Amino acid sequence: MPGGHRRILVVEDDLETAGQLMEQLTTSGYEVDLANSGNEALNHGAAHDYAVITIDRMLPDIDGIAVMRQLRDVGVAAPFLIISALGEVDDKVRGLRAGGDDYLVKPFSYLELLARLEALGRRSDTIAKETILRVGDLAIDLISRTASRRGKEILLLPREFQLLEYLVRNEGRIVSRAMLLQHVWDLHFDPSTNIIDVYVGRLRRKVDDEQAYPLIHTVRGVGYCLRAPG
Amino acid sequence: MLLAKTLTSTTFKLALIAIGTFGVIVSAILGYVYLSTASYVRGRSDRAIQIEISSLQEVYERSGRDGLIDAVRGRMVHEGLADHVYILVDPSSRVLAGNLEAWPQATAEPSGWVEFRQTSSLANTAGWPLIRGMIEIFPDGDRLLVGQDISDLDGYTAHIKTAVIAVVGLIFALAGLASVLVTRRTVARIEQINATSRAIMLSGLDKRIPLRGSNDEWDRVAENLNLMLARIETLMEEVKQVTNNVAHDLRTPLTRMRGRLEKAYSRERNGEHDQALIGDTIADLDAVLRIFTSITRIAQIESQAREGAFRTVNLVEIATEVVELYDAAAEQDGTRLTIVGDGEVLVTGDRDLIFDAIANLVDNAIKHGRAGGRVVVTSENVDGSPAISIVDDGPGIPVDQREHVFKRFFRLEHSRYTPGNGLGLSLVAAVARLHGARIEMLDNSPGLKFTLRFAAPAG
Repeated sequence: MPGGHRRILVVEDDLETAGQLMEQLTTSGYEVDLANSGNEALNHGAAHDYAVITIDRMLPDIDGIAVMRQLRDVGVAAPFLIISALGEVDDKVRGLRAGGDDYLVKPFSYLELLARLEALGRRSDTIAKETILRVGDLAIDLISRTASRRGKEILLLPREFQLLEYLVRNEGRIVSRAMLLQHVWDLHFDPSTNIIDVYVGRLRRKVDDEQAYPLIHTVRGVGYCLRAPG
Repeated sequence: MLLAKTLTSTTFKLALIAIGTFGVIVSAILGYVYLSTASYVRGRSDRAIQIEISSLQEVYERSGRDGLIDAVRGRMVHEGLADHVYILVDPSSRVLAGNLEAWPQATAEPSGWVEFRQTSSLANTAGWPLIRGMIEIFPDGDRLLVGQDISDLDGYTAHIKTAVIAVVGLIFALAGLASVLVTRRTVARIEQINATSRAIMLSGLDKRIPLRGSNDEWDRVAENLNLMLARIETLMEEVKQVTNNVAHDLRTPLTRMRGRLEKAYSRERNGEHDQALIGDTIADLDAVLRIFTSITRIAQIESQAREGAFRTVNLVEIATEVVELYDAAAEQDGTRLTIVGDGEVLVTGDRDLIFDAIANLVDNAIKHGRAGGRVVVTSENVDGSPAISIVDDGPGIPVDQREHVFKRFFRLEHSRYTPGNGLGLSLVAAVARLHGARIEMLDNSPGLKFTLRFAAPAG
């Protein structure tokens, strides 16, 4: 992760889950603080500047949503990733409306968690101001909404462009299928088919076919990653 | 048993209260009739005697004892006064005139009203008639009694009294009988329902309350209860079916996972091999989780917990997004996926759910339609009602299978080996029900035309 701090607050009352989270995140190079209750979360959250705060909806003392609200009230700007067993669309929408920046339903894959943390951490780091984004020999123009490789234009449907833009903005990071559905199609549920794979497959043919090197890579079990070689 | 239940039933108690109240009122009315009739009859005869006494008094004052004796004798031969008794005695109780043999013994009072039984026999009376009379004592000690045989009057009021008592008694008896019969009927019907309930608790939901065919309210209650039982039975059957299917659909991947892990456990570690194995296991686990999510999602939609999220949405926009999303999949399949219809078709609903429903239908059409065929999505207003149809030219669904396709985990024979979990149309049905939309499946020969007809948007 380029620059920025990598300190994360994990608010989780289940000790085994908390332990797994700590281990995974530490392995991935994050510095992790753990809060086992809402009150601990309030103390930690206000005391340090975190890159991301992950929070369980159901805590033993205070509701996760109330914790988020109180932390926001005291000026905490860190993005919240809600991790909850409450997985219905309503729960997600409620969580996001209450100030959550992203939502992950238990059980989740750690790759998915890492992908989301990266995306959230970056969001708090930088806001890109360029109108042309480049990855390797790919350039996408955010104004004219066109893409090209080695100066040769790639014909894309509007949705394909959105998909490519999202991948480019998350260059070098893994994005999951659920993240694509959420950010490109605004769908908060899994249509339970391989539809995303098919869609990405078509985009990949348009972007990578007959090129010097592929840009869109499949990450087994999670999703995709757009990166230039080297 | 039934009689005991009848007598202790609430209906019977209520009937008794009604009978009691009614009986008291009827008794009061008839009692009043009796008393007023009796006093009227007696009052009339008393007045007649009073008038007679005062007219005889006048005779006495005018013409003395002899005049009175004449007058009394004259009265006795008068036809109209046949039921009257007269007796005039001097101070030593010697009879001066009259149709009584002697001054009646029973008269203790010196003057005023008396009632006594005539002890001597008279030509025109039989038995011991009851006489009511008035005694007048003249200044010289002579006593005059004018009376009337009131046996008839007494008999008359006695008749009325008997009639009143008989009527009241009859009313009570009939009302009692009627209430026992009515209550018995009610209790019998309730007892049937109770017996069925007990039978259901003991042995299962296949019992039904017998109907009498009388088409009355009891039959309707029984009919509705039977319908409810049938619905519960169907639901239970479905739950059982779903449980079996869930068990099957979860067991299959779980068994695969277990076998794989077991084999790996007893084998030497091999980095590459292990990774593939773990990857496959995670994929299977995800499939299990997805089925689980779908089931809870359908259950949640069916419990109608989401109506709060309803707003006006454009079917065309949603359908366009779905078509766009499935465009690549259709292309891969060689299917031509197109969208036609009106520019704006508004419905009141939940965008995500409608999206999911249409997505499932389009997914089905592409998957089960003819390879290289076409799928057309049409959204339009038909007579003011929004509708969306998804049409394919594949093998369609046999008519006799159509009602089954909405059941959870149902797979048609020819689609058993295509990917899918048999939950898609269950979700479509649940979404349709939540939106009050009607589902139509028609032959497109070849293929299937699947239509969702929504209600016109509110407002």
